[in-house]
Amino acid sequence: MRFRRRLSVLLVVGVLVSGVALAQKTLTIVRPTDPVALEPHLETTAPGSWVYTQILEPLITVNQNMELEGRLATDWEYVDDTRVRFTLRQGVSFHDGTPFNADAVKFTWDRAFNADPPGRWASLASTIDSVEVVDEFTVDFVAKQPFGPMMLTLSMPYTAIVSPTAVESMGEQFSRAPVGTGPFKFVEWRANDRIVLEANDDYWRGRPQLDQVIFRTVPEEGARMLSLRAGEADMVLAPTPSELPSFESDPDFQVIGTAGVGVFYLAFNLDREAVSDVRVRHAIAHAIDRELIVEAILEGGGVLATSVIGEPVFGYKDMRLGELYPYDPERAIELLEEVGYTRGDDGMMRNASGEVLTLEMLPSSGRATKDREIAETLQEFLRQVGIAVNLDIYEWATTFELMRGATLDYDLNSFAWFTTTGDADYTMYVNYLSTELPPASWNRWRYANPQVDEWLVAARESLDQAERARLYGLIQDQLAIDLPAIPLYGSYEVAVLSSDVTGYVAHPIQYILDLYPVDKE
Amino acid sequence: MFSFLLRRLLLTIPLALGVVLIVTISFDLIPGDPAALILGEFGTPESIAQLRTSLGLDRSLPVRFVTYVGEILQGDLGTSIRDRRPVTAILAETLPATALLSAAAFALVLLVGIPLGVTSASRPGTWVDNLVRVASLVGLSMPVFWTGIVFVVIFSVYLGWTPVSGSGTWRHLILPAITLALPSIAVVARMTRSTMLEVLREDFVRTAAAKGVGQRQTLYKHTLRNALIPVVTIMGLQLGQMLGGAVLTETVFAWPGVGRLTVFAVFNRDFILMQGLVLVLALVYLLINLLVDLSYGLIDPRVRYA
Repeated sequence: MRFRRRLSVLLVVGVLVSGVALAQKTLTIVRPTDPVALEPHLETTAPGSWVYTQILEPLITVNQNMELEGRLATDWEYVDDTRVRFTLRQGVSFHDGTPFNADAVKFTWDRAFNADPPGRWASLASTIDSVEVVDEFTVDFVAKQPFGPMMLTLSMPYTAIVSPTAVESMGEQFSRAPVGTGPFKFVEWRANDRIVLEANDDYWRGRPQLDQVIFRTVPEEGARMLSLRAGEADMVLAPTPSELPSFESDPDFQVIGTAGVGVFYLAFNLDREAVSDVRVRHAIAHAIDRELIVEAILEGGGVLATSVIGEPVFGYKDMRLGELYPYDPERAIELLEEVGYTRGDDGMMRNASGEVLTLEMLPSSGRATKDREIAETLQEFLRQVGIAVNLDIYEWATTFELMRGATLDYDLNSFAWFTTTGDADYTMYVNYLSTELPPASWNRWRYANPQVDEWLVAARESLDQAERARLYGLIQDQLAIDLPAIPLYGSYEVAVLSSDVTGYVAHPIQYILDLYPVDKE
Repeated sequence: MFSFLLRRLLLTIPLALGVVLIVTISFDLIPGDPAALILGEFGTPESIAQLRTSLGLDRSLPVRFVTYVGEILQGDLGTSIRDRRPVTAILAETLPATALLSAAAFALVLLVGIPLGVTSASRPGTWVDNLVRVASLVGLSMPVFWTGIVFVVIFSVYLGWTPVSGSGTWRHLILPAITLALPSIAVVARMTRSTMLEVLREDFVRTAAAKGVGQRQTLYKHTLRNALIPVVTIMGLQLGQMLGGAVLTETVFAWPGVGRLTVFAVFNRDFILMQGLVLVLALVYLLINLLVDLSYGLIDPRVRYA
């Protein structure tokens, strides 16, 4: 009898325990690739930062509205033109119990800059000269010269603070099992399969709603969407654009997205004779139906680009491309004839010696949403106004090397660029300053306009944000005229979630995934 | 027999060296710099050069080759360029998943492919034979990618019997194993059928039947055994392919195996990881071939290893 009673007690306890286990709130996220590492020292891509932004926190961050918000810092102010003083949050501990303080901040930055090799993001913050500890909870960041984008640069997820004791005791293993102060703690990483995180009970903003987060790697896009339909996943990052409408109309799911900081564009190499005449570039702009590309090819996977930087980026100004260069093949033909080409019976444009106007293009392929399809569409748009385009399609590693070569043997090039800091300087300076040439930098169009150079340098060095915004406005107006690149579509940061997930808000910067407010009903 | 084995095992040494040399040379020939790829848009010529030095990519070809061979002799396959982990650790994570999937698929090929071929050959021209022939043609022609997705839609999404993708339990293994096995089942069934039909015409089969040996015994003991050598050869090749990485099956089912790892290594120009993978896979192929050769002696006692 006693045995029976014990057994029933055990059973009840068992049922309760399993009931508790069932009630655990687990959010399963599927995305296409496994990270390289779980901390920014070795990992600069989004699949990595989606995971480590849950574990590691920077001093400051930008929220969904692109406003600065404190994380491990409670306050910040300019002490002088090159020095920003941060007041650190007190009473915060890393997941391993190490107290968070100014030494940890200094340790993180020294490691990023002085390790061999340095952190893979260190070149982004090369304007920072040093990090100085003022007292236990005060730290100064000193720039080499006045640096307008300083605060947004310091808000990047790469600048997240790591536990010094964990880095020292774990060595290289730290990159695979990081220790930070964030809302979730690292539990397990099964390579190419799953990464498991659990709630940090002692998180300084309070314990997160979710008990567990599982990131699963599902490389095939159809299979990603199916795992959501089958209930194996709660959230799909990088969903298939063409499937978005069917999920939008299904009450069991929600599609949440926002315009991002990336822009996909067609760029000209101004060193090449064929496109060095601005009228040819204007003609090409008139020849391309950008709206059709967004509607018919992207199917909701992107938004119409209105500038060389995304709308959420600081310094953005609408370049009024729709008004300046509406889709008008007739106008394109007129412009080309003005330049001196004549249209033959076959519809192709020929120069005085009878050669067909032929452009060589190096498109991005397999890198950005629908990039290959877009390249083929552009080829057809240009053929309709008599321009022949030869596409050289390679896989990414080869394209990347060709694109960044000291000489670029192509007239056209397509590429997606993300303004990772959220500040126009990040994109504008390295892409449009006349001295920022490949292979050292990114001015692949060999664009040189002394006036733009002057504005770019002034905007970088000014600490007056209103003045900076005005200067970037002028630059975008000028780029709309000189047209070294035609912006085609802007990134759209979108996720598909099961309808029982609440609290998720899409972020314009694709590196930032905020799961702290997320809950599951 | 012993000298045959010894000779074959010794042959692996020049083969392994050759494989390593080819991968090392390809490193200099293929465009794309792993250091530039790792740093992406953040890379500057200085930081790329610094990373190249730190990764040992700036050393000359002979130095890299000799160092790597020295490392291999110590059981070290180097450190992956991309994620800075020992290649042996990465392989230790990945190979078991591939071995499991290949073993399951191979078992299906063995248990389904051969009996289908035998059944088909024993009733040539009947509806059974026609059905097997058509089914194997379909099995061969359907792209793995498509079959995989169709299976997922039917068995995972609608029926809910199996997980959509991933690994960890035996239920995760079912769909990828069937998907991977289907084309091989078709090949083996067709091969078994045609060699069986040839052997069935031999005099000894008629003699066995005349002596009153039962049909089942005639088929499986007398005929199949004599028809098996080409079938085993084909099966060895199929197994080698499965172990070499079933990229498409692994991609559809998110199976964490060697195939996806190889694609990752190539796209990211992770030459060190590539060297390790190619070396291990070459050795696996060699071992399977050796086993196939040895199995000939078991199947046919007349085979001598000289």
